Amino acid sequence: MSGGNITKPKPRVGIYGLTGCAGDQLLLIHCEDELLDIFNAFDIRSFVMASSNPIEEDMDVALVEGSVSTEEQKKHLMDIRKRAKILVAIGNCATVGGVQAMYAQDGTFKDRMKKVYGDMKFITEPMEGQPLDAFVTVDYYLPGCPISAKQALPLLSRLLHGAPPEPFPHPVCHECKLQENKCLLLDKKFCLGPLTQGGCGAVCPSHGLPCVGCWGPHSDANFKEHITLLESFGMTKDEVIRRIRNFGGHKILAYIKDL
Amino acid sequence: MTKTQKIEIEPLARVEGHGGIKVEIKNNEIKDVQVKILEGPRLFETLAIGKTPAEDLSLVPRICAICNLSHKYASLRALEKALDIHVPEVTQTYRQLMHHGEMLESHSLHLYFLALPDFFGYDNAVAMAEKYGDVVMKALALKKFGNKIMRLMGGRMIHGENPVLGGFGKLPNRETLLELKEEALTHLDFAMETIDILASLEVPDYPERETQFICLKPPHDEYDYYGDILLASDGKEYPLEDYKKVIIERTVSHSFAKRSAYNERPFTVGAIARVLNIGDRLKGKAKEARDKLLNERWHRNPIYNNFAQAIEQVFSLEDVIRIVDELVDKAHPEIVNAARDSGTGTGGVEAPRGTLIHHYTIENGVTVDADYITPTAMFLDDIEAFIRKSGENLLAKNEMDGIELKLEMVARAYDPCISCSAHLVSVDIE
Repeated sequence: MSGGNITKPKPRVGIYGLTGCAGDQLLLIHCEDELLDIFNAFDIRSFVMASSNPIEEDMDVALVEGSVSTEEQKKHLMDIRKRAKILVAIGNCATVGGVQAMYAQDGTFKDRMKKVYGDMKFITEPMEGQPLDAFVTVDYYLPGCPISAKQALPLLSRLLHGAPPEPFPHPVCHECKLQENKCLLLDKKFCLGPLTQGGCGAVCPSHGLPCVGCWGPHSDANFKEHITLLESFGMTKDEVIRRIRNFGGHKILAYIKDL
Repeated sequence: MTKTQKIEIEPLARVEGHGGIKVEIKNNEIKDVQVKILEGPRLFETLAIGKTPAEDLSLVPRICAICNLSHKYASLRALEKALDIHVPEVTQTYRQLMHHGEMLESHSLHLYFLALPDFFGYDNAVAMAEKYGDVVMKALALKKFGNKIMRLMGGRMIHGENPVLGGFGKLPNRETLLELKEEALTHLDFAMETIDILASLEVPDYPERETQFICLKPPHDEYDYYGDILLASDGKEYPLEDYKKVIIERTVSHSFAKRSAYNERPFTVGAIARVLNIGDRLKGKAKEARDKLLNERWHRNPIYNNFAQAIEQVFSLEDVIRIVDELVDKAHPEIVNAARDSGTGTGGVEAPRGTLIHHYTIENGVTVDADYITPTAMFLDDIEAFIRKSGENLLAKNEMDGIELKLEMVARAYDPCISCSAHLVSVDIE
């Protein structure tokens, strides 16, 4: 007997989508070079977008994409939470609420719903998009619109080996400096790099295009100073705030409430 | 005594987004068929109100990840009309290159990973790899090539910001273009091999019924994925701006997607509609592929959409080669600026799964009206009609074993994009 050489059971994984564009699940499917390894290393029990006949039992890790936008999804999420030892929110919709939550808490959802669907009653009650942690405890966050392979694959490997994922504490602005790009703010371009969580590799500024903020707000950012700077480019404060809320969902409200 | 039986397929697997199928059978007759769209509403058109065109362009790809560039492209075409921007031909050709990336990415994902496992009897493509390893590995490589073009032209694989009003942030250099051509050539053999694989498959006849097909008519004599005219299978043509008169919508309670009809009847869009309506324009290997696969049952059987996608894979690979030859010695075009800040425009492109229409009214630089009509919302009624027909035929032949899978195959053949469909909505702000 080879002592200590016990094969550990593969972690059981469920990959779920609530309301969103499915881009985070798609990104995993689009990891062509790693896809077969991911399916081999994990025991993927449920991944409805890629496979039939899901097994809905207890699991070690649940990856959940999308915002909670109906009562039924809220129930579904709570059921996933009950069955999962570790729950990871993947993508902007799951972490902050997504673009569908850009008007979060301003009270217009019901009106906008009525404008689009009239007085229609649906089989499940719709609600304004909410991030997962509005209803359940989230163990780890993988931000992005969509998530990036450079952040997703290390998170999966660490979970595979029973280690906690490493946090990524840098804003887009930091990643942009590492790319040695010329700062777009010097050209008075509306760049949100300093306010935005990193992980994309500063991909937009590297194409000469300003950051739109799609990874969501960065907790260390100086919102007050940056908004003042952007106003100086010839925009009203309201316009600046409107734009920085596009991908900020519910989470950005805490950073701008006193400004 | 009455006997009621309900068939519930939920969740509907191997499609994008959250949906289901419900069929109610009473006294051996199909009473009701519902394709349920349970993806929550996001109200995209209301999000666009008050935004600048640049913001619109970064919002719309988020409607759907699989066809994110089609959404961006449709918005670009609409907004550029509204703002009187005329891009040079070179820019248009780069956009076609970008769009081929998405066609290859989306078609290969659907054909090999979402649809083929049904034909070979597997739950998913990874399980299929044990016996069909060669096909799965080559399919992954083809999908990766599609994604490479998307990354190159879009700026990143999904939701890239590189296509902007009037042009692109950054364009590929000569070496990169030539590399694409080389690579397209290597995938062409596999794309043709796929045609032979499909030719050997037996396509079941249980869903068959007559329907109608709509696609965009390209503005030139070749096959293509964009245009300003809606072309229907009855031979009629309509200016794209009249889309609201041609495609009539309604809401239903079992779905956050609106429903559409043409001539008061359901219709189909997508690869099958394009190959049927404009497939006689195909040349080269794509024509060869069409000649091998096309038969008169296509008009009645949506499962052939998988075959049409395979033909378009060949077309897109050949067209990437043509485009590289055309672009390789041309200088990069400048970004064209807007000539005005108010106007109305309707843009149409063929997303992988069918005709996609974006419409905007811009006043003083901000959006006052937006409308996005997606392919999945257009063909949902037809999916229901084909599922009903399938159920009737299977009941009549008493072939109820495994009916769930048979019905799923009909829905899946359309390659529905449920995220997209869940906001086929229109808002008019007075």
